Amino acid sequence: MDRTSVKIVVAGGFGTGKTTLVASVSEIAPLTTEEILTEASIGVDDTTGVEGKATTTVALDFGRITISPDVVVYLFGTPGQDRFWFMWDELSQGAVGAIVLVDTRRLESSFPAVDYFERRGIPFVTAVNRFFGECPYTEPEIRAALELDPAVPLVWCDARDRPSSKLALITLVRHARTRLSVNA
Amino acid sequence: MTFDIWDGDDESAAGRFVPLYVLVNGRTAPRDSTLDLATQVVALPVDTRRLEPEYVEIVHRCASWISVAEIGAHLRLPLAITKVMVDVLVEQGYLRVGSPAQQKIIDLHLLDSVLAGLERL
Repeated sequence: MDRTSVKIVVAGGFGTGKTTLVASVSEIAPLTTEEILTEASIGVDDTTGVEGKATTTVALDFGRITISPDVVVYLFGTPGQDRFWFMWDELSQGAVGAIVLVDTRRLESSFPAVDYFERRGIPFVTAVNRFFGECPYTEPEIRAALELDPAVPLVWCDARDRPSSKLALITLVRHARTRLSVNA
Repeated sequence: MTFDIWDGDDESAAGRFVPLYVLVNGRTAPRDSTLDLATQVVALPVDTRRLEPEYVEIVHRCASWISVAEIGAHLRLPLAITKVMVDVLVEQGYLRVGSPAQQKIIDLHLLDSVLAGLERL
């Protein structure tokens, strides 16, 4: 029996609840793994001066959902800092798609994520996190602020709530499926 | 590219400190470029006595299917290093790789089973 991994990216600006969403649906407590910022820092033959080299590490939080004995979904939260785009590329490679979390107190903080997935043609849904209380905006206002394509689904969610996070995931996979059958 | 791991002949195994870049022999990228952080591997029933402790730890973690990212997280190894070490173990016949991560999801059947699985949650 073979074993297939399915990747889903959970993106959004800093503090939008990415790890909270991963934690609410993952079957394991979210794990953190690290990536080293510069490849040069690990490819050194000569040890002289290695200690002094600045190696920035990027932390990645992720969770897991076992679908069947041969299919496992991995949920990867993007690094909080937008400057680590190289990690986004690795996370998005071969991914089903992305959930872009939106914090209504800072709509603009999710704009880079929307822009990223749109440019690359990666399926995504926006999930407006109600975690922070009542939402002062209507759906059309949020869509306008994020310049969302009308085809991109928008769901309201509470990232702490498992059924709510599950709905965001299902909406994403359905959306990815629709796009796939349309393009096929 | 051939890669020889250390054969176990060390006079001071206790307290030995091997920097990570030595462990991977200066390699920065896995030979198998399809090795993704979500790719899963599993240990094959092979004698690991000739492996360095750091490699043995990885093989032990792979008693059942596990992803590269999980190995890195459990053993506190950076992902780039984990990938190279896993690749070495695959190359030398200690680990088996599951389906490589797709370049693009093109499989409706796969999406359907994911959808069904999520709905069961």
